[in-house]
Amino acid sequence: MTLKMETRVADGVTIVSCNGRIVFGEESNALRDTLKQQLASTRQIVLNLSGVTYIDSGGLGTLVGVYSSARAAGADIKLTGLGQRLRDVLQITKLVTVFEVYDSEPEAIAAFHRGAA
Amino acid sequence: MSIQTTSGPAAEPVSGLFPTLVYVHGSDQRTITLDHSPFTVGRKVDKDLVIADPRVSRDHALIVSENGQFAVVDQGSKHGTFVNGERIERRTLERNDRLEFGVRDVAYVIFHPQHATSNTAREFLSQISGMHISTETTDLEKLTLFLEAARKLNTIGVLDEILVTLLDATLKLTRAERGYVFMKNEDGNLRLAAGRNSKGEPLLDDKTISHSILDDALKSNSEFVITDTSESLDLKGRHSIVAYDLRTVICIPLRKPQVQTTRDTEAPAPSEASAEVMGALYVDSRFASRDISSVSNDILRAIATEAASLIENARLVQAEEAARRYQQELAIAASMQQGLMVVTIPEVPFARLVGRNLSCKEIGGDFFDAVNTEDGLTVVLADVSGKGVSAALLASTLQGMIYSQLTARMPLAEIVTAVNRFFTQKHLGEKYATVIIARIRPDGELEYVNCGHVPPLVVSNHTVNRPTHGNLPVGLLKDATYESDRVHLKPGDRLVLVTDGVTEAENARGDFFEDSRLETVAAKSESLDDIFAAIASFCGGTPLSDDCTVVELLYTG
Repeated sequence: MTLKMETRVADGVTIVSCNGRIVFGEESNALRDTLKQQLASTRQIVLNLSGVTYIDSGGLGTLVGVYSSARAAGADIKLTGLGQRLRDVLQITKLVTVFEVYDSEPEAIAAFHRGAA
Repeated sequence: MSIQTTSGPAAEPVSGLFPTLVYVHGSDQRTITLDHSPFTVGRKVDKDLVIADPRVSRDHALIVSENGQFAVVDQGSKHGTFVNGERIERRTLERNDRLEFGVRDVAYVIFHPQHATSNTAREFLSQISGMHISTETTDLEKLTLFLEAARKLNTIGVLDEILVTLLDATLKLTRAERGYVFMKNEDGNLRLAAGRNSKGEPLLDDKTISHSILDDALKSNSEFVITDTSESLDLKGRHSIVAYDLRTVICIPLRKPQVQTTRDTEAPAPSEASAEVMGALYVDSRFASRDISSVSNDILRAIATEAASLIENARLVQAEEAARRYQQELAIAASMQQGLMVVTIPEVPFARLVGRNLSCKEIGGDFFDAVNTEDGLTVVLADVSGKGVSAALLASTLQGMIYSQLTARMPLAEIVTAVNRFFTQKHLGEKYATVIIARIRPDGELEYVNCGHVPPLVVSNHTVNRPTHGNLPVGLLKDATYESDRVHLKPGDRLVLVTDGVTEAENARGDFFEDSRLETVAAKSESLDDIFAAIASFCGGTPLSDDCTVVELLYTG
């Protein structure tokens, strides 16, 4: 598998950091499983994609799928650490209008606290 | 123990398990298994074979089983029953006999025709049984050889032949009178799969066997159960044993062979009883006949193991056959899909359209289409996420929806809104599609709606412009809204549409072809060939990981 994920908690927000490629199959399944598992216990997730070199159409579909079901369940996933390629993909697909994207992890965490306050 | 080792012309009047009837009516033909007796023929609806013709009597004829043979009996029908053209009252049937009931020529029945395939399998079998081997294991070896032969022939219905062969061999080895194989069906009940007597005649009826012993054997943990009724008094009360004078019954549960894995070496070996029971082999003899209770345990143990693995292997052969047919179905589906993808490009005086697809190995989800209406010439390019059959299926549906709405002259934004609603309501998992639809009017106005697709290239006088207006892909979010945008083309301007297989074509170093290279070649190129040549030279020998589709629309004015 070409995707590695690490999960930690910072300021009450769960951070999931991805490294590698998010492609359809084993990788997209692993991403979905990890996020669903976290969503069972938290409503606030920051997905740090700074280590992601490539995301294909299937991986993108998974990301949107998990995001939609999280929103429907009253939880939220914010994105940070997008490389140029990922920004381009989100721009082309206009998904940049769907996800909340932040330049840095602290900014994404702060956004959760602002929302909660 | 002596074993018959010579073969000759088959002595059995009926070979195989249950004979078949092939009923031919006009151009229709169906095969009926003759699995019970009497088998009724007539015009009445409750007949086993109903022939709806006034010349057929209501109760016309019966086909009955007697002493392992089958006979047709006329029931005093008005227009008569015929075997091979001869009017009969009663006639014992032989293979390939032609039966006619009142109505001649239009409808007839062929009794147990010999099919080419089963014939060949039988020939193999007779060759094998003709070999001069005379030790106790030979019959088991023959079975294995037969299976090998059958597997090579890829015979349909191999399981039935295996069961019959298995029974014949078991009857020879045990010298029992009757033998039956029962197989568990899906709901866990035992079903009679084959029955033979020691004369090699088929037994279609299991009413006269001891079902209680059969049930006991399945519940027990042992490899086989021998019941000598003369020794156990408490069995006397059992109905079949008393009614049919059964003396000795041997029942062998057939358990699925355990697959040995390396991990099992540390764990305790699974007990025989834990293995899944898939059926039972039952043989018996009556009081009056020879005693089979002295059959050596080794032989029974050998039969138990061999029989189970034979049946399991035969099942695997059948599964292989099913998988092969499934593959064929898929191949048909793939060719149909390719047929759908064939685009007839409409000819219009103001524009020229060309499109080409370079497929990677797997079936992809790319398609393009073109429709000419009074509103102008419309071109569609879409890319469904993922690959394989699911992507192809979705692509076909998408293509059909868009095509029909285009011909109905729906506005472009409404078309993709409807498609998005359809796909998000159907819960297709995380599948979605990027779509671009562009329509050129005779006056050069180009309207396009881009749903998450690679932005189009507008090439005007060797400069490339990328109109960036876009929307979400279709099938991702149910509330997504869609808008179209317009640009104006001058005569000589070209619109180039690509799928991301082009921009993400990789070379050996893992670099992508990228938009920049695409724009460079599009600015210089005169035709699609130039673009594909540039992709090929960039990739070198690296195979495509995604479909590449390029569509070019030249506005001539």
